[in-house]
Amino acid sequence: MLIAEGISKSYKSGRRKILDSLEISIDEGEFIAVMGESGSGKSTLLAVLAGILDPDEGQVLFEGKDLYKLSDEELSDIHKRRIGYVPQSNFFLKNYTILENIVEPFLAGSSEERLAYEEKAKLHLEKLGIGDLADRFPHELSGGELKRAAIARALAIRPSILLCDEATSALDVTVQQEILSLLQTLRRQQGEEFSILFICHDIALVQQFCDRVLVMYQGRIVEEGIPDNVIQNPSHSYTKRLIDSIL
Amino acid sequence: MRFKKTKNTIKDIQRHAFLNACLLATVVILSVMLFSVTVISVSLKKGMGNMRKRLGADIMLVPKGEREKAENMLLEGSRSNFYFEGEVYEKVQSIDGISDSTSQCFLKSLSADCCSSEVQIVFFDPDSDFVVGPWIETEYKQKLSGDAVIVGSDIVSEDGKIKLFGQEYAIASQMARTGTALDSSVYFSADAKAELLRNAEEKGSFLTEEQKKGDILSSIFINVDGSHTTEQVIDSAHKTIGDIFDVVYPKKLHESLSGSLGKITGVVNVISLSLGILLVAILLIINSIIMKGRKPEIALLRVLGHRKKDLIRKLLSEMGLISLAGALGGSLLGALIVIPFGRYIGKSLDMPYLGPGIASVLVQILLIVGIVILIVFLASVFFIIHTTNTEPYLALRKEE
Repeated sequence: MLIAEGISKSYKSGRRKILDSLEISIDEGEFIAVMGESGSGKSTLLAVLAGILDPDEGQVLFEGKDLYKLSDEELSDIHKRRIGYVPQSNFFLKNYTILENIVEPFLAGSSEERLAYEEKAKLHLEKLGIGDLADRFPHELSGGELKRAAIARALAIRPSILLCDEATSALDVTVQQEILSLLQTLRRQQGEEFSILFICHDIALVQQFCDRVLVMYQGRIVEEGIPDNVIQNPSHSYTKRLIDSIL
Repeated sequence: MRFKKTKNTIKDIQRHAFLNACLLATVVILSVMLFSVTVISVSLKKGMGNMRKRLGADIMLVPKGEREKAENMLLEGSRSNFYFEGEVYEKVQSIDGISDSTSQCFLKSLSADCCSSEVQIVFFDPDSDFVVGPWIETEYKQKLSGDAVIVGSDIVSEDGKIKLFGQEYAIASQMARTGTALDSSVYFSADAKAELLRNAEEKGSFLTEEQKKGDILSSIFINVDGSHTTEQVIDSAHKTIGDIFDVVYPKKLHESLSGSLGKITGVVNVISLSLGILLVAILLIINSIIMKGRKPEIALLRVLGHRKKDLIRKLLSEMGLISLAGALGGSLLGALIVIPFGRYIGKSLDMPYLGPGIASVLVQILLIVGIVILIVFLASVFFIIHTTNTEPYLALRKEE
């Protein structure tokens, strides 16, 4: 479904590569966690995969098409309907309500389209436990509530793939669990088509929900596999250190 | 659909109220300045053009010692009485080198019950006059009878009559405004001179025996033919009628005024240009601040699937609406400031000033709106394109 080939990225020319000749393939219906220390390139990887950060080298194929060679119209269409992205920080349009923030891509659409979209958005807000906050403004919500609203915003388009950049990090453990359960349920409801890639630091959650875990170190994926296998038998020295430090 | 889009654009503008208010204020100031400068310079030029048409003689002979009064009368419309004896004109006509000549006689009305108001009365010869005659003909083509008058645009009359030295005269026509001294004068055919002078004397104007007879004139306007110079004609006049006259050069007066106008408009243009550059710089700064502040918003909208061209259109619509409102508001404010004080501006500059009519004001407002929208467009388009072209993740990352 989503394949990254030979991806390299540095933020300034000549500086250290944040992503270094990275290869990754995500199949339909996969639930994948990305782990790694700060600065290992996790967020940059998600941005490149989401089509919002042009890599210096390599290509990102979404259903066989290179995201960075698509026209603006085609890429916008993919963002509007196929790829859901939850940024690390809580970015919301300040003077819009939570519901308006979610339906914003359809504000210029027809009334019917907008109404249908609003219904879907409200449903997702309900599922994420913040249905009563739909008409509030972002500054009236806590960090955790905003994080849930951001996930609702990404889910409202019924994406084929959801890319979450530490989407659950601001939430307490029980809420993290609830959200990941919800994502799991949605994935089952949507069948094999819905994939999830998320950055997570909680090994227990990774073990509980994910099909595969990727461990990143200095811009490369140094280890990947079924979570139980990676955690119990880490092969890379960094993975061993990471697991030791968490456990 | 279009109404809905406009409504959404207004909502978007309100969502960024403070900076958009700054932008609007700058646009209003820019528009007030552009409108005021345009109206004032156009009005001065129109007034000047009218004056040039009416100062269409090469030389004007006035009684010795009366040159300053005559110049003030021509330029500022001040009222004066000064006279030659009537036979002077006949003698002047016999001089070689004159292609056209005519005489006029001036009389000040009194500020008393006998007169509707204090005005300058001008007696002209409709057959020979080439100074005010062609102008009067633009509005009144018949022969002016002795009991009718033509009045300038500033003369006020409610019943179509004007009372001068106890006698009422029908107003045959009121001339359109010229922005010059002509607007505050009353024009009689030379045939009415004797009767009016008699009445004036009865009502208290001091007149000599010759003046009472009506055989007087105030100035002689001369156009010199191509084979002579003005100096030759003036020399001949000295030889013919003696040293009893001074010479006013109406065209030189106009040239000197044009020079002053050129200097004034030059200074105004430099000040306006400097202010304009400053305001455009402020616009650039405000636009750069607005777009910098909106970078994360634009990035987020792109992540959510907005196309670049839709975002550019959305931002340009906001700028367009602000500049339209600012330009209209500024032009109207400029009109409220400049138009009522137009005459005062002309007077304080000692210049003929012909304020614009409604149609001209509307055209200028449209022009200003177009120019201001173009300026705001040019001052924002770079920032808008730069913002929409920034990679969304980089814009969001800077906010983290």
